[in-house]
Amino acid sequence: MHEIHTKTCRGARLEAVRQISGFTEIGKGYAGYLTDESKYPGGKADFLFFPRDESELSAVFKEMASCGVPVTVAGARTGLVGGCVPLSGAVVSLERLNEIHLVYYDECSEEWRVRAQCAVSLRELDRCLLAKSFPWIEKHGTEESREQLARLQKDPRGYFYPPDPTERSASLGGTVATNASGARTYRYGSTRNWVRRIRVMLPNGELLDIPRGKYFASPSREFLIYDSAGTPLHLKIPSYILPETKNTAGIFSAPSMDLIDLFIGSEGIFGAITSIDVALLEREEKISIVQFVDSDEKALDLVETLKDQKAIPLDFLELYSQEAIHLLRDRQQRDSKSVGMPPIPGEAGAGVFFEFSFSPDSGSTEFEAIIDAVRGCGGDVKNSWAAYEPRELDRLKNFRHILPETVNAIIAERKKQHPGLHKLGTDLAVPANCLREMWRIYTERLRSTGMQWLAFGHVGNNHVHINILPRDMDELAQGLNLYREFALEAVRLGGTVSAEHGIGKLKAPYLKVMYNAEHIQEMMDIKRTLDPLSLLNPGDMFEVGSS
Amino acid sequence: MKIVVCVKQVPEINNVKVNPETGTLVREGVASVLNPFCEYALDHAVGIKSARSDVSIVCISMGPPQARSALMRCLDLGADEAVLLCDRKFAGADTWATALTLASAVKKVSPDFDLILTGKQAIDGDTAQVGPEVAEILGIPQITYAVDMEVASIGRRVRVRRESENGYEIVTARMPALVSVVKGEMLRRMPSFADIVAARGKPFRLVNADDLLLDESQLGLQGSYTRVVRVFPPCVRKSGRKVEGLEALDAAHAIIEFLRAEGFI
Repeated sequence: MHEIHTKTCRGARLEAVRQISGFTEIGKGYAGYLTDESKYPGGKADFLFFPRDESELSAVFKEMASCGVPVTVAGARTGLVGGCVPLSGAVVSLERLNEIHLVYYDECSEEWRVRAQCAVSLRELDRCLLAKSFPWIEKHGTEESREQLARLQKDPRGYFYPPDPTERSASLGGTVATNASGARTYRYGSTRNWVRRIRVMLPNGELLDIPRGKYFASPSREFLIYDSAGTPLHLKIPSYILPETKNTAGIFSAPSMDLIDLFIGSEGIFGAITSIDVALLEREEKISIVQFVDSDEKALDLVETLKDQKAIPLDFLELYSQEAIHLLRDRQQRDSKSVGMPPIPGEAGAGVFFEFSFSPDSGSTEFEAIIDAVRGCGGDVKNSWAAYEPRELDRLKNFRHILPETVNAIIAERKKQHPGLHKLGTDLAVPANCLREMWRIYTERLRSTGMQWLAFGHVGNNHVHINILPRDMDELAQGLNLYREFALEAVRLGGTVSAEHGIGKLKAPYLKVMYNAEHIQEMMDIKRTLDPLSLLNPGDMFEVGSS
Repeated sequence: MKIVVCVKQVPEINNVKVNPETGTLVREGVASVLNPFCEYALDHAVGIKSARSDVSIVCISMGPPQARSALMRCLDLGADEAVLLCDRKFAGADTWATALTLASAVKKVSPDFDLILTGKQAIDGDTAQVGPEVAEILGIPQITYAVDMEVASIGRRVRVRRESENGYEIVTARMPALVSVVKGEMLRRMPSFADIVAARGKPFRLVNADDLLLDESQLGLQGSYTRVVRVFPPCVRKSGRKVEGLEALDAAHAIIEFLRAEGFI
């Protein structure tokens, strides 16, 4: 079936929606709503709305559409590409849609699921699942939903939601809109793999309720949406073939694709996701290891060997390049407690961070595949840090977070001399067989410039973040040229310009590096069908003024 | 040289909330961890071991079967052997009954010990009594609030730098002795994967009430001189308002407005 009807949301009036009006008032008291983690500059808005449910959100969308006011939707504002930074018009913060409404066992797929409003954070979802405590369901749930909860609570097994973007305060809706991924994407895939149903508020204020597995593109690659007036909206899905890498650049497209996938990862340009059903997985105990090796090359050797061994499935595989280790060691030597870890071994020239399922009582022989892999790459498992208790796992995660934090601190210091300076962080991924080639391109070009740089991140997915730390504006310009060069090379190798951060406003120019004009037009045709006046999230994915 | 480290498993205190109606701790979903002060004690033991070749470390804990994980962490961090005192008869023990059980276990599993190390206190009970009580029961010298220590290479003496209200004191005791430690300047360690693999092959003993030379009336709730009558949280002060997301000047204006509205200025 490729036809679907929208649902209307009546009952709320715009006046009833909590709102702040006025450019000055918002700028003074609510400046946080004009920016996000990307620090994308220039955010401004005349209206700020806080709808508490779908009917209020619908009222906002309808009223703004009737007045021709652009609307930018904000979740937890943790994005890295300026997606929720308003350029003008209204900001709609979905933060009040923050309840978990249902936890249920789906008999057909034999899996536990959670139904949550869009603003529930990943941290809150995990906390509720860990404690099997869902206050809203206990207080306001139907008898049936309380029975389902009781069933979950009786189940001796624990459950978790596998996607793990680094930022745990991210909202579930935001992570679905951006198809967020993270370290564990290596094993569990991106958010898309775990979404079973969404409700989407279209720019016209009407709702689509889309379960996975019900609406598929027709053989002519079309979806047909009927609005409440019976008007058909024809959506022709794009003709491009997406890279086989992790990817968040451009909207999803595949023959016979599921309608739900059109909205997942579309960065909110087609509608605002209000409610999500996600699948859960049985919780397992894990061990994380930071294995130190001599050099970047040895680290890549270890990555390949660990990927090749099949005895122990890994959840993630992350890289700390030589420069990254140097930077952290330098920080540690200046303040031994600032890194929160014992001294980084003196001989460490790079590191590989990985994780796998682990029972603390298991016997040592099960680990031979790992020990052999490390030894085969000239390493020694004595030169590692390993953790399996939750608080110790957090220490290793914090050690990972300290790296970008340290980079940001260095840039902040340099900005005092050069206010326009910023770091350059790539988000490129390439096919597995091109990782070495891409690494060669990175290192040769970067070393030839003499700029400060480091690499870290999801090497298991062939997705290494290169951070360039320009010292002045000349180096910034040089870095921007390099960035574009790297993006072109990644695409040439069959990769993507954005593996996980998305396009948003910050990386909109790079969409053209990956897609030709015809393909971009195909995406924009869908946008125009659903949002004829381009009022929803203007500037995201497509630069303002492009048509 | 034989070092015994007495350890306890505690709830991870940062995540513990108090049920406002019952006043009891909400433990659901809260991880259990090795008491940090016990980990510092173990760190000192491992430090002594790294400086001498003849040291063995045994860690002893009294607790439910789940306390095994705290002892496993001790083995990961360098202990040579772990002993779990686990029996329903131990349940409900106050500090005295706990100390008596531990002291009896020390005499059983490591009668020729040289040094007992304990944390200053457990972060769930905060009594700081068990260590000193163990020393009294065993009739050995004790030094509390240790931040640093060294064992003389000749002679059976331990030299300790301990915190006092006015600074530090250097105190020496003949061994066998008991030393309880505070956090000090130690940086928490992290085991290597090799350590964790090796820990799985180290001896782990279970000891029950029948293995100890104690009368049942001396154990657990029966052997306790004190009772917990009620647990309640301290009064919580109303949290303040935070001015966020503003430039410094605007933030200052917002604070001034607030102070005016509240009548402070």
